[in-house]
Amino acid sequence: MSPPDWVKALKPAGQPGSELLAQERSQSNVDVDKLAELLHTRAALERQDRLLALMKNDKIFDKSQNHTLGRTERIQRALAKGKRLQQLSVQHNWNYDDFYAANDLLGEPTPYGLHASMFMVTLREQCTPEQKKAFLERAEKYEIIGCYAQTELGHGSNVRGLETRAVWNQDDKTFTIHSPSLTASKWWIGSLGRTANHAVVMAQLYINGKNYGPHPFLVQIRDMETHQPLENVYVGDIGPKFGYNTMDNGFLLFNNVKIPHFNMLARFSRIDKDTGKYMRPALPALVYGTMVWVRSNIVLQAGSVLARGVTIAVRYCSVRKQFQDRDATGSVGENQVLNYKMVQIRLLPLLATMYALHFTGRGMMTLYEENQKRMMGAAQAGPDELRAGAELLADLHATSCGLKALASTTAGEGLEVCRRAMGGHGYSQYSGVGHWYADYLPNLTWEGDNYMLTQQVARYLLKSARSVLAGQAANNDTCRILKNYLSRRNKGASFDVLEQDKDIVDAFAWRASHLTFEALKHRDVEKRSWNSLLVEFWRLSTAHSQYLVVKNFYDAVNSPQLSASLGPETTATLHKLFRLYALHTLEREAAEFFSSSAVTTRQISLAQTTAVSKLLDDIRPHAVSLVDSWKFDDWQLDSSLGRYDGDVYPDLFRRASQENPVNDLVFDPYPWNANVLKNSPKSSKL
Amino acid sequence: MPDFTDRLRPKQPDGPEILALERVDSDIVVEELAHHLLGQNGFLERQTRILPIIQKEPLFDKTQQQNLSRPKRFKLALARAKQLRRLSDQHGWSLEEYKLAEYLVDDVSPYMLQMEMFATTIEEQGTDAQRALWMPRIKSWQVIGAYAQTELGHGSNVRGLELEARWDRGNREFVLHSPTLTSSKWWNGTLGRTANHAVVMAQLLLPRPDSPDQFVSHGPQPFVIQVRDMTTHQPLDGIVIGDIGPKYGYATMDNAYMLFDSFRIPHSALLSRYAKVDPLTCHFSRHAMPAVVYGSLTAVRSRIVQHARLVLARAVTVAVRYTAIRRQFRDRDAPDTAPELSVLDYPTVQIRILPLLATTYALHYVGQTMQATYERTRSEIKSGSFASLANMHSMSSGLKSLCTMLVADGIEVCRRAMGGHGYGGGSGLIQLNNDYLSKPTVEGDNWMITQQTASYLIKKMSAAVAAVDDPPTDAMDGQYKLFLQGRAMGAPYRIFHEDYDLVRSFQRRATVLAHNAYIEREVKKRSWNSMMIQLHKLSRAQSQSILVSTFFDALNSENNLSLSEPLRRTLWDLFRLFALTTMEADSYDFLASKAASGAQLDTLPGRIQELMGRIRPHAVSLVDAWMIPDFLLDSALGRYDGRVYEDLFNRAHRQNPLNRMTVNPNYWEDEIVKGGDDMKNIRAKL
Repeated sequence: MSPPDWVKALKPAGQPGSELLAQERSQSNVDVDKLAELLHTRAALERQDRLLALMKNDKIFDKSQNHTLGRTERIQRALAKGKRLQQLSVQHNWNYDDFYAANDLLGEPTPYGLHASMFMVTLREQCTPEQKKAFLERAEKYEIIGCYAQTELGHGSNVRGLETRAVWNQDDKTFTIHSPSLTASKWWIGSLGRTANHAVVMAQLYINGKNYGPHPFLVQIRDMETHQPLENVYVGDIGPKFGYNTMDNGFLLFNNVKIPHFNMLARFSRIDKDTGKYMRPALPALVYGTMVWVRSNIVLQAGSVLARGVTIAVRYCSVRKQFQDRDATGSVGENQVLNYKMVQIRLLPLLATMYALHFTGRGMMTLYEENQKRMMGAAQAGPDELRAGAELLADLHATSCGLKALASTTAGEGLEVCRRAMGGHGYSQYSGVGHWYADYLPNLTWEGDNYMLTQQVARYLLKSARSVLAGQAANNDTCRILKNYLSRRNKGASFDVLEQDKDIVDAFAWRASHLTFEALKHRDVEKRSWNSLLVEFWRLSTAHSQYLVVKNFYDAVNSPQLSASLGPETTATLHKLFRLYALHTLEREAAEFFSSSAVTTRQISLAQTTAVSKLLDDIRPHAVSLVDSWKFDDWQLDSSLGRYDGDVYPDLFRRASQENPVNDLVFDPYPWNANVLKNSPKSSKL
Repeated sequence: MPDFTDRLRPKQPDGPEILALERVDSDIVVEELAHHLLGQNGFLERQTRILPIIQKEPLFDKTQQQNLSRPKRFKLALARAKQLRRLSDQHGWSLEEYKLAEYLVDDVSPYMLQMEMFATTIEEQGTDAQRALWMPRIKSWQVIGAYAQTELGHGSNVRGLELEARWDRGNREFVLHSPTLTSSKWWNGTLGRTANHAVVMAQLLLPRPDSPDQFVSHGPQPFVIQVRDMTTHQPLDGIVIGDIGPKYGYATMDNAYMLFDSFRIPHSALLSRYAKVDPLTCHFSRHAMPAVVYGSLTAVRSRIVQHARLVLARAVTVAVRYTAIRRQFRDRDAPDTAPELSVLDYPTVQIRILPLLATTYALHYVGQTMQATYERTRSEIKSGSFASLANMHSMSSGLKSLCTMLVADGIEVCRRAMGGHGYGGGSGLIQLNNDYLSKPTVEGDNWMITQQTASYLIKKMSAAVAAVDDPPTDAMDGQYKLFLQGRAMGAPYRIFHEDYDLVRSFQRRATVLAHNAYIEREVKKRSWNSMMIQLHKLSRAQSQSILVSTFFDALNSENNLSLSEPLRRTLWDLFRLFALTTMEADSYDFLASKAASGAQLDTLPGRIQELMGRIRPHAVSLVDAWMIPDFLLDSALGRYDGRVYEDLFNRAHRQNPLNRMTVNPNYWEDEIVKGGDDMKNIRAKL
């Protein structure tokens, strides 16, 4: 229902949002387009335009009812969107990057999500060539649709504790897949609940009563015609969740289901069909390759995930005005909310963080790809290359765990900070932040709870420290900083963190190293129990990951390529972002920096009172340009508050009055009348 | 439909067995503690009496509400709210009883503003005649009202409101008019679909006595008006009203927008107890609101804090019970045959949950103290003395900010500590989180209002500086003077040995921060805006100090001395855990203000771990004592009986409507649900 003319004629009071944002854009010398190219590459930006042209005008991708539909209708529409994306993909011959970018623009998971990611990645990495032919090729054409069924009702992080069994039957050369208890039910498995007809099932392999640990099996679970579960397979959706409601996370139980020998994914470990003998994997570490891949991706995404919230909040807080400056004399009008220090201290460090995470993610992906190459080559090469590859894998594994934990926690919590910084309107779904946050939150607990993961980092750091003490240090960055710390331990550190950027990196390295040797002392000298040290390990991991972020950020902003492509002004602003991220982190973790003698109390108090505050002032004029560089399209943001043109209020009003089905209800508000609605008594039935 | 899953049981030991052991292992008598916490004012007795009435009403069944579309969810809420009112009439419930029933139903009621701000404003600001006219109709719910203050363009800054109420001299009426789009009322609860009346805040515009064509604003004033037809429930001519659309939470509340097109209201609409317009001379007169109004604000805030404690208790109850049952990984130092550890035995889980458990108790005592202060001083106010109330009023801003933030963040910490299952609808924390997250930004944004507390503290410090040798005027003045005279020396406080020294340490830190702020503002004349971050910290430090000292005082009170020895011992441990973990989070502050020494801070983690070890065996009893019924928890993970996995499976398997729908997963076919909607239907609905 369209509002009456007198309402349509109304304009927002005061300076329009478009003017305010234009002002913001003209006061900054940041080269938005060049920075965008550096962040995303020109090819990716062109891809985005191409995809948007296809998607924006297709009604099937409409987003206006996302927040009002019930779950059943919502997931049906999500499947329609998923189908349409796949149709477009075939029609336009999309590659993986195109497909991934299109999903990102859609902004919600589709029921095909896990088929397109974990299922196919697992098949790619764990199938023999014959299995690839039989499974992967069909999966790529969506002839079989699959999911990756690892976690169970009773077990998540602890893969070894899984209860589902795969028992080898030598007589008929089959495996029997079975769920011995209720807690053995597969649980949380994306794309399984209603969509998949196949699953990669992680199950405890038993041969002659002996357990060989969890292994992957490909199991058909639904009929290819009727799409009904096969006999003795029990499968369904696990119900509504905090977010991710367009995904059919599923449960799955087996009642002695037989599958052929061929269906054990056998690239690394296999059973000899004739003898029933178990063949050990050549490179056990590679089995975890999928996990490392997923984690690398999470770190890379975290920057963009956060950037979306920061883009919305920075634009809105530039348009929103509230109160006059308390010290202003006379009537100067209300102040832009972003001018308030208590808003800046929440948003601008996050602005710096999204850049920090982005550059760190880039660094990690490079490390991952290098490792893949080395490991692939290692199969043919000698033991030396193999060892070097394993060393890099150890570094990568620890790095991916710690950074995944830090990056996803920072991004998730950062989104909520953005939402709250927008005050009341941030609570509306039209802000575009709330549902984005809710959908992102599982990243903080899946693929390994963030707290659990930190143990792996600590274990790796302790091992490295022992090797350094024994004079057998590996040639990598972690050992380098530990050695450096040991050599100067008795001379003390004097890092000039307020003046020298390089010294900031060294101070972070110093603190992480100090905590490593402290933890080592507690474990090896004082013989304290592992369990009693977990909180300390968590802190250690956080410190080490923060060091890595600071280091990656520092390396990125100091790279000659960066300044060459951006020019001096934009480069200078990125240097300030680096400093803001680093000093704000240092200030928040002040006690550890102080107690490790990396910095003095005087330096900390100067950082708190002067340096950070000055950086906020310096960065403030560039805030809008620095988020513009991320090049989110309005259609992707789907936010009234974060619109590029700043037309915040008319858009909020339009959505509320014209896209809101609640306004079709006319209530009968009186308790003594049984009807809930006046306009359609039938639908008032519950 | 029976199937093989009916026979499956969870892996042993199961939830009931584990929780039974937990309960036996603690020497806390739950009934004693429950009575201590909830016995006052008959809360516990009311809950016991009303719960069965609510539980047997099918309308209050919660199993489907997470799946519903917003319009359906909203209709359900209205039906429930009507039923609540009918039950109230039927059982002759008092207001407190009604509120308790509403608390158990756990919907944000569409009638909420009717019961609260609407009625309260008329009661407080109406003349005797206005009260006599409105209150009986409000009490019978013939008049259903909302409170319309905030606008699209203005929230916290009430003076900036744009809606106009212009006096029409000729007709002796007011004309309500919305001059701009941003003047639209916005966020006003109960108004979107439910209310037929509203208290509307509008700028009162009166003609200048000397030139009647010109109007002067007399600031925002309250008017009570009818907004919808009493029969058709349609908005009256010249008014546009609607619901503002989906939000992060509060799905059951119809927050509104509302615009006026030269809408005429009678002179009697202005609530005139304190602000009057003479209809003949159009002269405006105003009386200051008496202190009792500020007193009632303190009372409101103490209720917010008391409510906050039960909300946090709910989240902690779920988290403690579930993590006690959940098993994950073996202890690394244990032999291979050892069973997996209870997740709650990991210090990394304890450090997240147990301090929050302690926080529920801290909030309990501070809420009680706020209420007691208000009641004790009510008689003082009547005789014109309200020094202690003024103090409490100023402190209540900071406390509202800190306490609601502790709870909003605490719910989310609990949810995440439960790993994957915390994200599921079975956690019982989804709606709690969604609804409660409105609190940090409503009724005074949590960052904005800390300025009020900080501003008061700077004033107090200035007064103490000006008369440093005069006898103290109140406790805080005495504390400040002691510091200024150099007689409070700072560390070492014996924080690990003397509980009172913890109180002194927190006071020291708050005093030093107040003094620093005083120097910056009053001596160095720094701008208010540049100090905002520091002011926020000051308010937080002061509020934390109040939480610690009220907790200490409560445990030292006579009331507490009558508790049994094991209970008192554990309550003191909770006090210490709360104080020490709060200190650790800001440890650098304590060091810099000489409220704790570096050596003490190094000892802090160990001491905290020791305390957690002592509290751990009582954790289940300590949450049991909050007596949150399963019906309210609505949580598979937090059930009193511990049947976590059975309930999760039951919800997924038997209560999930998605599992009654079979999809067609082939992307090349347009059918979405077998025999149901295809892509063409879906497009047509858009």
